[in-house]
Amino acid sequence: MEGFIKKNTELISECSNKYRVVKLLGSGGQGEVYEVGLLSAEGEITSLFALKWYFKNNATEAQMSILENLISRGSPADVFLWPLELVHDSRFTSTGDFGYIMPLRPNNFKGIVDLMKCRVSPTFVALSRTAFNLTLGYEKLHGMGLAYNDISFGNLFFNPENGAALICDNDNVTAGGRVSVNGTPRFMAPEIVRGEAQPSRNTDLFSLAVLLFYLFMVHHPLEGALEAKIKALDIYAMEKLYGRKPVFIFDPDNESNRPVKGYHDNAIIYWDIFPKRIKDLFIESFTVGIEHPERRVTERRWLDAIINLLFGVVKCSCKSEVFYDDDLAADGVGTTCWNCGKEIPPVTKIVIGKSRALLMKDTKLYRHHIAGNFELTEAVASVTQNPNNPNQWGLRNESGAEWTYIGVDGSRTPVAVGKSALIAKGAKIDFGEQVGEI
Amino acid sequence: MSETKEFKRPGGELSNRPLHFIWVVDCSGSMHGEKIGKVNHAIQSTIPEMADAARNNPYAELLIRTLKFSSGAQWVTPEPVNVDNFCWSDLEAGGVTDMGNAFDLISSQLTIPPMSDRALPPVLVLISDGQPTDDYKTALDKLLALPWGKKSVRIAISIGQDADVSILNEFTGNRDLVLQANNSADLVKMIKWASTAAAVVSAPATPDSTTVAGGAGGSNSSPIIFDINNIPVPEESDPDDINVW
Repeated sequence: MEGFIKKNTELISECSNKYRVVKLLGSGGQGEVYEVGLLSAEGEITSLFALKWYFKNNATEAQMSILENLISRGSPADVFLWPLELVHDSRFTSTGDFGYIMPLRPNNFKGIVDLMKCRVSPTFVALSRTAFNLTLGYEKLHGMGLAYNDISFGNLFFNPENGAALICDNDNVTAGGRVSVNGTPRFMAPEIVRGEAQPSRNTDLFSLAVLLFYLFMVHHPLEGALEAKIKALDIYAMEKLYGRKPVFIFDPDNESNRPVKGYHDNAIIYWDIFPKRIKDLFIESFTVGIEHPERRVTERRWLDAIINLLFGVVKCSCKSEVFYDDDLAADGVGTTCWNCGKEIPPVTKIVIGKSRALLMKDTKLYRHHIAGNFELTEAVASVTQNPNNPNQWGLRNESGAEWTYIGVDGSRTPVAVGKSALIAKGAKIDFGEQVGEI
Repeated sequence: MSETKEFKRPGGELSNRPLHFIWVVDCSGSMHGEKIGKVNHAIQSTIPEMADAARNNPYAELLIRTLKFSSGAQWVTPEPVNVDNFCWSDLEAGGVTDMGNAFDLISSQLTIPPMSDRALPPVLVLISDGQPTDDYKTALDKLLALPWGKKSVRIAISIGQDADVSILNEFTGNRDLVLQANNSADLVKMIKWASTAAAVVSAPATPDSTTVAGGAGGSNSSPIIFDINNIPVPEESDPDDINVW
């Protein structure tokens, strides 16, 4: 398939880099995306990038100024395939046409539609990682005073093996002002569907909640009995379902839109698997959050809940991943496996501030756990076995700073880097910034 | 890849709805020769792109059928076929233009049953180069009175200058959805554009100033919002070339 720009065409970017068109990758509503090679002085391809080239109607001055702004601000986080530089080379294209260079998406990343169609089968841990990475990305973007405006399946990718995520199509990102897109059906906040609002940071928060619900439940949060009743799902029906009369399928105070067996099985299956804390955030998002855009669940609340999901997965003896439910545990109710129905044996846990992590063989704690900074790449502690007493398990200090172990009897012992602190119920560890309780 | 994994999440695919897409092709005598050959080529080459688009559409199960009409009308694909398994069968032309007969056959399929009571609006793409020779009006009125007929999204492609545009307008209910193909390049573009209606139906955009509503108009119809910027414009043709295909 050939695009508007022919293969092997060489284009010079605004920063005087030379790129050669390798192939057309795809075509969308606004333009075409090519794989391009950055050329060395000798004309050899040194590394590969993606080039988005706008269709004539979309190559507007407004779009150009959005891009210039995004390029000068720089990427909020690694998760974004952020615009790097502009290309408007009039030698091969009509005057006024332009495109931009961005990093190329690696092949091992899959679309969210692959997840929806069961073409990939990530674990709950990988999926929670994806949810974490995406939410953190939007948090950083919003932190820069920007809004994404179109969170939806088409502009996200993930690695089903490890949960790494990528956010592309960042050319609709704005810092206030007129937005050129309305968003994507099913992801748009109800006030946009009703024509009362434009995309913004607050409507991003609604779309994010929809996205997280799709990731975890493989279903739309507003599609229940009211959807099943509709014969022709046309634009009027959709405006009502997603805009004028949105009802959450698990609204505790309104049972009119419960999922229907046979039509909405995923919602029924997955809802019971997830712990109360994440479900409470969904309920808040799609009840209070529907009526009050300014009271939607913020990214940081999602991140805290998702981190507790990630560090709360137990493997049942039937090999299923089971989410530990803190609220059930607090009521003295054990967690049972959704697959085989067996009760999961009690697991030791550590609670540090808003974080809770189950302490099992191979568990690692990260910088976030002691600093509360959503940093999950740098390990600060590992669960270890006492070589002299295999019945004893400890938490090895890999944090770079000394800890203090506070025994059940209140005794205080320093834990140097490389040393392990005994995991005993009731003991505490002072990590410096926060104290964890086992 | 799941065989190598010891664990699999429960649950199935995202729930979707059937989307019936019907190619309705005029195979009357005037389409004979290169014209029908070009239609065959254009639709056949669009099918893989429709399949690609369907793979990226989690909301719809795209089901395709072909209906031809000349002297009488006939289903080329008797049952709806998933786009992944759909093969285009070359059509041959000869006979008169019994368009009404075609509308009757569509009506019989858009009735519940055989039509399921839960679907996305059906898409009907009519390709014609001439004037109906039968009573198209009664049949069209009947079709448009059916609930699924009303909700359907209808696009017409007129080949050359001989087609009766007013009849095609009646069919689509919207002038903008009657596309005029003056040459084979136009035809390919327009057939490709019409095929994207499947994606637009399953995730319709909200209207703004650069869009156009398709469907029959009126409160009972099913408007679908197309990006007007992307509706293909026929190429300027030398008047002498209009009928040279």
